[in-house]
Amino acid sequence: MLSTLLASDVVAPFSSPKIDYHALAPELVLAGVIVAVLLADLFLEESKKWVLSTIAGFGLLAAFIPIVTLAVSGHRARSMFGGAYVVDTYSLLVKGIFLLAGYVVVLLSQNYLEEGDYYQGEYYFLLLSSILGMVMMGSSRDLVTIFVSLEFLSIPAYMLAAWRKRDLKSNEAGTKYYLLGVFASAVMLYGMSLLYGDTGTTILKGIGAKLQNGSMSPVAVLGIVFVIIGFAFKVSAVPFHNWAPDTYQGAPTPITAFLSVASKAAGFVALINLIYVAFPHGGDVFQPMIGVMAASTMTLGNVMALRQTNIVRMLAYSSISQGGFILMPLAVAGGKSSGNALTAIVTYLAVYAATNLGLFAVIIAVSRKTRSGEVSSWGGLFSYAPLLGVLATAFLASLAGIPPLGGWVAKFGAFRAVITSGTNWGYALAIVGAVNSVIAFGYYGSLMREIWMKPVPDGDTAPIRTPSSLNAALMICGGATLALGVVPGIILRFSDIIKL
Amino acid sequence: MSQLLRSYLTVAMFGAIGVLLAALLLAISALVRPNRPNADKSKVYESGVDPIGDGWSQSQIRYYVFALLFVIFDVETVFIFPWATQLERYAGFGLLEMGIFVFVLLLGLVYAWRKGVLRWV
Amino acid sequence: MQLIVFIVATLMVLVGAVGVIVRKHPVHAALSLILTLFGIAVHFVALEANFLAAVQVIVYAGAIVVLFLFVIMLLGVDASEDLRTDPITAQRPLGAIVAVAILALVGTSIIVSRGILKVTAAGKAVKAANNLRDLARSIFSDYVFAFELTSVLLVIAVVGTVLLARKLPKPEPAVKS
Repeated sequence: MLSTLLASDVVAPFSSPKIDYHALAPELVLAGVIVAVLLADLFLEESKKWVLSTIAGFGLLAAFIPIVTLAVSGHRARSMFGGAYVVDTYSLLVKGIFLLAGYVVVLLSQNYLEEGDYYQGEYYFLLLSSILGMVMMGSSRDLVTIFVSLEFLSIPAYMLAAWRKRDLKSNEAGTKYYLLGVFASAVMLYGMSLLYGDTGTTILKGIGAKLQNGSMSPVAVLGIVFVIIGFAFKVSAVPFHNWAPDTYQGAPTPITAFLSVASKAAGFVALINLIYVAFPHGGDVFQPMIGVMAASTMTLGNVMALRQTNIVRMLAYSSISQGGFILMPLAVAGGKSSGNALTAIVTYLAVYAATNLGLFAVIIAVSRKTRSGEVSSWGGLFSYAPLLGVLATAFLASLAGIPPLGGWVAKFGAFRAVITSGTNWGYALAIVGAVNSVIAFGYYGSLMREIWMKPVPDGDTAPIRTPSSLNAALMICGGATLALGVVPGIILRFSDIIKL
Repeated sequence: MSQLLRSYLTVAMFGAIGVLLAALLLAISALVRPNRPNADKSKVYESGVDPIGDGWSQSQIRYYVFALLFVIFDVETVFIFPWATQLERYAGFGLLEMGIFVFVLLLGLVYAWRKGVLRWV
Repeated sequence: MQLIVFIVATLMVLVGAVGVIVRKHPVHAALSLILTLFGIAVHFVALEANFLAAVQVIVYAGAIVVLFLFVIMLLGVDASEDLRTDPITAQRPLGAIVAVAILALVGTSIIVSRGILKVTAAGKAVKAANNLRDLARSIFSDYVFAFELTSVLLVIAVVGTVLLARKLPKPEPAVKS
């Protein structure tokens, strides 16, 4: 048997695939940094472990350099591996968001880890691996590559959520995240197998050419539905959101920030890749589905957030509801306002990343003093930590969508996308979204009231001392939130260059 | 019926004959041998000493790491096998790619070794 | 003949799958899983995918189930839990209804589209003898990037396991050997 296998080798000679190393440079740099962190962790003494966070931070910034050079070198899309991996302006943009968000998370983690006596080497190794998965997701245009990227970004995240081994809450966080995550992967993989069975290709463009509204086989419809459900878990869209609050609450706070921002954004990026490249003519299937999910996600997230007394849990539900707003433009993708919707989602992701990471930075800073996660522990924050109070207010206002902050531009884009679609679906969604924007003021406002008007609990008004890395994170996020709102031009320019 | 299944049919028949043979031998010896059970004879065999506790005892988590390493290198073989049959065709490129693949996996092994989980204590 | 093989293999898969769910003893459930995975291997053989069948047996029925058994033994099999409690009211009947509904949905959609699904020309061109060659071509051309990163994924698994399995107090100093 084996001999026949070996002898049957009389086919055309093999030519190795052309690899554009410039286009792959961000991934390669990141992979190199990951290996460096692993090796450094093995051969460094315990007292020198702080070097690892520096390597991780600079590594992320180093990976950012090729992104800039690629962006400067022209808007031509570079396609590799038979169209499985495409580097274009859209993918560069989301990769940039992932890398910067990752850098901020490294800044947030620095003191948290050093004071908490955790294994630093493994932490940064896993964190960087997860970021590498996200960066890959930005370029994946093929079912297999998407799947590998998804596992790449999820598996380290499961472990990071369970980081605090002796804490039962953290164990619960990791277990729930893991079980629901792999279940979602299984559902998605089944959907992918159905899509492959129907179209005979794993390349998204090829699938897109075969799937047409009205003439799709039931199997393909099922495939689309299952694949979208798989990613709905990742972006914690209702009814697949159950894991999010418990996971966010139990995971270490920097990881919660990471999951609620970067991991979620990666899920959206995957959804964009699939919907815009593989199912552009399948709107009949995914539009109603995503529309219903978007509406119920923002409503349920908001209603539950109103009832929370723990800040991280409240933010977990707030992030679910923000996810609904990001889904909203996707529900009209494929129609008349497809381009608007794409710009709106990418804008929203950028703004949401800056704002939410900033808010988590404030939470970490405040809890260094109060050691509590209750809403009431923020009482009178402004009176003893004016800068943190102002920043927290700005981030909350941005999440609520108050001009002139970034959140306002993001919300505006999302509403514009659904309204310009000109469908009844779009109008209905816009109304639900508007109602929800008002509800959201309820809990964002109550946090603000706590900061500005409530007395300081137990009268301890010692100022909060924040380490320099945390300060840097706060400045980056605050600056980005403000800049994206004041100069929306930076973002609106995207609509010219992002195309899929 | 395809040629392939026909060749597997031979395997199946061979296997069936093997099972039958073993069953036959055991059956014959069961008929012929004397049967006098006692407590010592029907005791669970545990390396010659008297068994202690239940068969379902909790195992150490350390073994899990070994099992996982085994799975990982099992997967490595799965990838190496197609490459090995096509070694010449993929010449330098294949060697490079597989070299990177194996190198990264070795890192995992080095990691486990340096962290001291491979010691048999 | 092919039909017989198909029926036998499918029975193995289904019986095994049901066994995984209904067996009370977790070790028996894991062993039922082997039956399922083995049945799938038989399906692979019937489809002339010899290498995949071998992989299925070696990796899944062999290594992965061993891993499952390790986990089960780690948790201790006698730690039995009362499975009759319902955290959510009417969870079980609802679960059954949803399961039947999904089964009906998937089943009908596959039956309806059976005329549409055809073996493509590319699928026909694949010869059983060239299985491995085609697999190698895929790995080393279109999926080479995904393939390389799979190795990092495996290392992540090692790191994560070692991390979660290690004793916690004080990170041990690097071992001198």
